[in-house]
Amino acid sequence: MRKYLLFFLLIATAAPIHAQKLSLDFPGLSEKASEVVDITLDAQMLRLASKFLSATDTDERDVRDIVGKLEGIYVRSYEFDKDGEYDRALVDRVRSQLGSSWKKIVNVRSKKHDNAEIYLDMRGDQAVGLVVIAAEPRQLTIVNIVGPIDLDKLSHLEGEFGIPRMSKKGQP
Amino acid sequence: MNLESQLRAALRHKQPPAGFRESALAATRRQPRLRPAWRAIAAAALLTLLAGGTTARWVEERREGQRAKEQVLTALRITTDKLRDTRETIHEASNH
Repeated sequence: MRKYLLFFLLIATAAPIHAQKLSLDFPGLSEKASEVVDITLDAQMLRLASKFLSATDTDERDVRDIVGKLEGIYVRSYEFDKDGEYDRALVDRVRSQLGSSWKKIVNVRSKKHDNAEIYLDMRGDQAVGLVVIAAEPRQLTIVNIVGPIDLDKLSHLEGEFGIPRMSKKGQP
Repeated sequence: MNLESQLRAALRHKQPPAGFRESALAATRRQPRLRPAWRAIAAAALLTLLAGGTTARWVEERREGQRAKEQVLTALRITTDKLRDTRETIHEASNH
């Protein structure tokens, strides 16, 4: 019995750590939205994109460093003309997919601003997945990054790619 | 003559006339071959087709790669925007 336990323990520790990819299909939501951003990049597409990111340009090199280790980036962002055009249950549906390894690191509930939740898929000390849920009355954004993430490096990207840093209200 | 005997007569084994083999072989040797100039043209056309196919594939891969790159940049831009918004909200709340 002890032998079997040891065997299973070895298998469990030797198994590669795979972050969780969420199901982000929301049928009918795109039709209601006035603007939609739907990005699905699996590992193969990320490798392809990496080839086209410059190794000499500092900004692009940083992106390459981040993207090179990832297994997927999935973004769904919907903008609506009126308040409350999407069902808040969609957010619950995304949340319900997060297993026990996911830790909520930020939870912002605001009447003035948008509600935001940030989750990290923690395996030991390593973050191998990120989910950002930003729910505003007229906008719903869900980001799922699969793979080892360095949040410091990710934050360092702010204001790059020639895009000026914007304040919360969208004013420079 | 009935049909059966007609068929039998038609399908009866016959010896080829003398010299048939040699004349048949000589006839095949007389078949016109592609002249060297035509061979070169054919080879060039084939190479052009192959090169064209490779170039088209390269152009398509490049286009797809550029599209993937743009999508990566957009995705990271949205992510960092949302992370920053959240941080600012927390910062505002902690200052009040």
